[in-house]
Amino acid sequence: MDISFSEQDLQFQEEIRAGLNGSEYPAHVREKREKGIALTKQDQIDFHKFIHSKGWMGYNWPVEYGGTGWSPVQIYLFLNELALAQCPTILPFGLSMVGPVIYTFGNQEQKDRFLPDILEFNTWWCQGYSEPGSGSDLASLKTKAVLDGDHYIVNGSKTWTTLAQHADWIFCLVRTETTQKKQEGISFLLIDMNTPGIEVKPIITIDGDHEVNSVFFTDVKVPADQLIGEEGKGWTYAKFLLAHERFGIAGVPVVKNQLEKLKNITINHDDSDLSRKIAELEIDLAALEFTELRTLAAIAEGGHPGAESSILKIRGTEIQQRLTELFVEAAGQYILPYEGPEGFESNRTPAGPDYASPSVAQYLNYRKTSIYGGSNEIQKNIIAKAILGV
Amino acid sequence: MNLNYSDEQNMLREQVLKFCETNYDFIDREKILDSDSGYSEDNWKQFAELGWLAVPFKEDNGGFNFGPIELTVLFEEFGKALVVEPYLSSVVMSGTILEGSNHPAKASIIEKIISGEHQVSVAYAEPNIGYNFLDCVTALSKDGDMFILNGSKSLVLNGGNADQFIVLATHDNSPALIIIDADVEGLSVQSFKTLDGQTCGELSFENVSLNSESILALGDEAASLFNQMVDLSILCISAEAVGAMTSSYMKTVQYTKEREQFAQPISNFQVLQHRMVDMFIETELTKSLLIKATLQLDSDDPESGKTISALKVQVGKAGRLVGQHAVQLHGGMGVSNEMSIGHYLKRFTAIDSMFGNTQHHINKYQEK
Repeated sequence: MDISFSEQDLQFQEEIRAGLNGSEYPAHVREKREKGIALTKQDQIDFHKFIHSKGWMGYNWPVEYGGTGWSPVQIYLFLNELALAQCPTILPFGLSMVGPVIYTFGNQEQKDRFLPDILEFNTWWCQGYSEPGSGSDLASLKTKAVLDGDHYIVNGSKTWTTLAQHADWIFCLVRTETTQKKQEGISFLLIDMNTPGIEVKPIITIDGDHEVNSVFFTDVKVPADQLIGEEGKGWTYAKFLLAHERFGIAGVPVVKNQLEKLKNITINHDDSDLSRKIAELEIDLAALEFTELRTLAAIAEGGHPGAESSILKIRGTEIQQRLTELFVEAAGQYILPYEGPEGFESNRTPAGPDYASPSVAQYLNYRKTSIYGGSNEIQKNIIAKAILGV
Repeated sequence: MNLNYSDEQNMLREQVLKFCETNYDFIDREKILDSDSGYSEDNWKQFAELGWLAVPFKEDNGGFNFGPIELTVLFEEFGKALVVEPYLSSVVMSGTILEGSNHPAKASIIEKIISGEHQVSVAYAEPNIGYNFLDCVTALSKDGDMFILNGSKSLVLNGGNADQFIVLATHDNSPALIIIDADVEGLSVQSFKTLDGQTCGELSFENVSLNSESILALGDEAASLFNQMVDLSILCISAEAVGAMTSSYMKTVQYTKEREQFAQPISNFQVLQHRMVDMFIETELTKSLLIKATLQLDSDDPESGKTISALKVQVGKAGRLVGQHAVQLHGGMGVSNEMSIGHYLKRFTAIDSMFGNTQHHINKYQEK
């Protein structure tokens, strides 16, 4: 048994760290992240273009499609370094979601057409899975695509679509056939957001932010060559996507950063109850981090993270949420003045410590974490079935 | 990076597993608990024959020179079957202190421990010092060329069976570790059953006269040896707890599949499924901290003390959750003393109380 990283891996880590601390890193992104200010679309593009310029964009892709071909350990270290340097998350929709589906199930023409733009971040993707009537029971989705000559005609709606307001493309699960078994008859379609008949409406979440949207499709004409793989096999591709190794799902390095911040904030608070809660959170985080390393060690040996990775999702999000509660507790009564995300960008300074308002925003925003990506209750169903056999 | 057990370690695990399957079902265990000594002398002999009593000792002293990893393998399997033989007290606790000391007779004492003919227990707790064991009242004073020991010790594991005791005392305002025979004049021992079916002794020392050969370590050396013993003991009982948690959730899953109510197995009910998943998750998270602490202790990592405290906190909380859920999901059977499941809860409760409970180690973690 040995948990240490190899010399090569440590050298790799150094290179990433140096790159992230170098002068090429967009300074305005760094500054906003340090101050906790929300990034604009252009900021996001600048950041992703920087990652691409370093040759790191395809960090979890094989070499033959323009990826880095990094080992699981290298990917782990890379994501760790990004978090430690307070980088934004590399948006998963193109790179980690639709990209692998395209290079695994798409045809050559589709690979040539879509993959380079994902790596260069020329296209912004969003995910069309959830529908108003289909959340955890995703396979009950109703958005319809009917083949009409060389086009599909799409009608229906998608919801909770993250950052659809910025997106150029959406990958959608659509129903191409009504079948006995709801998982059959689903297809995987790529749709240009500029196609006539698509309407994006913002959904404002309880923190006041505009992160998610409703997307409506009315007689949207989609060229049939934008179907991935076979008609009716969409559910298989969707499951592949969900099972695709999701590194960093536990969010350990980000929580570590935040925890240090919280400790600094509360250092003079003289609140032993809060200190105790922080210590308990740190202990839970240590257990989670090592669980992630166990998973990584298994993957590095060629194993597949099974339902065990559901532990990372459940406990990771619980810890993230508890951390936001502790920030709120630290801010005390100064959580009251609240102008939402736009307030942070204004020049008015509300009363109280500067961390107070962002803390409560984060607290409200992070309620999403135990709901998205397969709610924590669904994750428990997965463990019950796959591991406990009940 | 590699978190696999070696072939040798896996063989050891298999061996313990097989032994427990053959010799340690719940009925066997009940008989052992009812015996006078509270453990099985036959089992102890077999432990010796199988070489298990030699596991942590150095080759110079007749041991296998195995480390914390092998000990946790052994204890995890012990925990699954709730083994009560005095391995912790005699081999881990006494062994660590003896082997770390410079006592001239240590090799011969260790040899006797390994052969199974001799048991030594460590006496460290006292009624009025809580978990601050080094602040003890029991005093060793100088008397010419001799020493005099006065005071009392509590909760000495396997105290009624021990042939010798290692006693933590205060000498010249600093700690001292001494070794004495169980039949020395002035020492009285009263043995008690513990809540989890093991035994412990209350020791009282009245002008026990000792010569300098009784001294194992003094001052900083004694403190450091003692703390080393505590860390390794916490690691071992944590491994035992992981084993007990594994058994608890697996037995619970099995029971809910067999138990039918409302014309179906109760394992069909989602609220029970999610509770069992919680038990599984806590077990896995505890295992993670156990492996982390084991590897750190094995490599003398300076962070190991902090991780040991984190582990003890996790063991305390997870043991409570897993133990209580297991009882709850067994319904009335869970509170029946004739079922094994409640005995796991008792062991978790006992483990939390030893070497600093959850609260104590949260404080300790914050200090580090």
